[in-house]
Amino acid sequence: MLQAIDLVKRYGSVLALDGFSLSVAAGEIVGLVGHNGAGKTTFVEIVSYLIRQDGGHVTIDGRPPSASRGRVGVAPQHIALYPSVTVREHLNLFGRLAGLRRAALDSAVEELTVALRLGSFIDRRTAGLSGGQQRRVQAATALINRPGLLLLDEPTAGADLETREAMLDVVKQRAGDGAAIVYTTHYLPELVELQATIAVARNGKIIARGTYDELVDGLPGEVRLIHDNEEEVRVSTTQPAATLIDLLGRAERPISTIEVHNPSLDDLYRSLAVSDAP
Amino acid sequence: MLLETDYRPGPAAALRESLYRIRAMAGNNTLIRLRDPGQTISYVVMPMVLMLVLEPLYVRAVDGGTTKVVTGLLVMFSVFAISIAGNAILAERTWKTWDRLRVSRAPAAELLIGKTLPIYVVMIAQQTILLVYGCLVIGLPIPGNVPLVLGAILLWAFTLLAIGALLAAIVRSHGELSVITDVGALTLSSLGGALVPLSLMPEWAQVAAQASPGYWALEMLQAAVAGDTAGVLRPAAILLGIALVCGVFAIRRLTRGWGRGGLL
Repeated sequence: MLQAIDLVKRYGSVLALDGFSLSVAAGEIVGLVGHNGAGKTTFVEIVSYLIRQDGGHVTIDGRPPSASRGRVGVAPQHIALYPSVTVREHLNLFGRLAGLRRAALDSAVEELTVALRLGSFIDRRTAGLSGGQQRRVQAATALINRPGLLLLDEPTAGADLETREAMLDVVKQRAGDGAAIVYTTHYLPELVELQATIAVARNGKIIARGTYDELVDGLPGEVRLIHDNEEEVRVSTTQPAATLIDLLGRAERPISTIEVHNPSLDDLYRSLAVSDAP
Repeated sequence: MLLETDYRPGPAAALRESLYRIRAMAGNNTLIRLRDPGQTISYVVMPMVLMLVLEPLYVRAVDGGTTKVVTGLLVMFSVFAISIAGNAILAERTWKTWDRLRVSRAPAAELLIGKTLPIYVVMIAQQTILLVYGCLVIGLPIPGNVPLVLGAILLWAFTLLAIGALLAAIVRSHGELSVITDVGALTLSSLGGALVPLSLMPEWAQVAAQASPGYWALEMLQAAVAGDTAGVLRPAAILLGIALVCGVFAIRRLTRGWGRGGLL
């Protein structure tokens, strides 16, 4: 569905993309992760045809982005809604711009109202909504015409639990329906729940791609125990559960605190940075 | 199930779809205007008050004083209304909504038409209300050639819309737009003879006035009110030229979006 090959993009002297390549098949969720400035949003903007690349090429279902208007649903990183317009009016606007007419539009609005739990504020203006509610509205406007390619740029940033659950459910459902999805985030557990392929961006290119197991499982986590006398034990381990059981079995004094840290996105970045170093 | 298809409509169906999307955009922008009408109300009420207060002065100072006070203040406050157009377009940047629209199926031309149509209607309504008020309350003679007056209003509103769109496309903030529209509008409209009759202004100002769109608007509207079709043509052609240059530049700029730069 989406093929991006060797994309290059410069902003003045800053090289935002430097040979960025990524493909996403129909029905696949690709979790695009990377530090700020890694090139994720620039990539999303090129695929959306908001900006043009300086090199490389992109196709969406075999067509360039310029010929794919309306086939791509985009929920940008920042909230982009009309403050004085209600949620329902937003959905109607974006649905109509996508060409949906009465029955299809009503049905799409109804479906998203349920799926993204918009019902309690559907007739309220977006200026009065919480950040999480605005995130859900924004996602709904991107999903309204069931596009074949979805670009969701940090759709749960700063969102509450309800928003996160609703968003992940809808994303899974749309992938199940055959949509190709690019999902940028800083939260690895979301990608695990989505069973997404993870693509790691750094310095304007993809430096690793694979499942969570392939990328993260070999990395060390940490087990931390604090005894009653405030003595602390920290163990770095690739098998946190087994290590914890072992430590508990050998503990001679009462324990006040137990912490188990699984490998994080930062651990993944660090390991890739080490392996990527010249 | 995904809804997208490779369906390609014929020309008639494509036109219907295009009109449908323009209507959706225009409807949304009408809602936004109706929910925040303060600026529009100001630019209608203020000239009404000023016409009432200044009319005796104009009548004593110049021939055709009633016509000059009505058309002069109409032009002056319609120039101020450029900020309505500018703010409406610039708000899409503040809200970051323009890029969301650009990703939709609607081409840039449809988005711009849908965006500006309600503002155009507001500008036409403002000028029409002020002219009708001028006739009913201030004593402006009812124009003999109403279609000519209407044509002049349509063209002047179009020119203002294009200038407003251009400004919105190039300024970096609402503050910059405010400075340009307030100071610029006052300068251009008063220099054009909208505030003080041109015949009472210094000679240099009478020459400089011709650089102001307000001057040509005043010439056109006064000729239209007098039923002078020939007198309307030259200023109308000049205003149309200004509108086209500003409009083309604004369309080119807005089609590309604002990018990541700027103050907003």
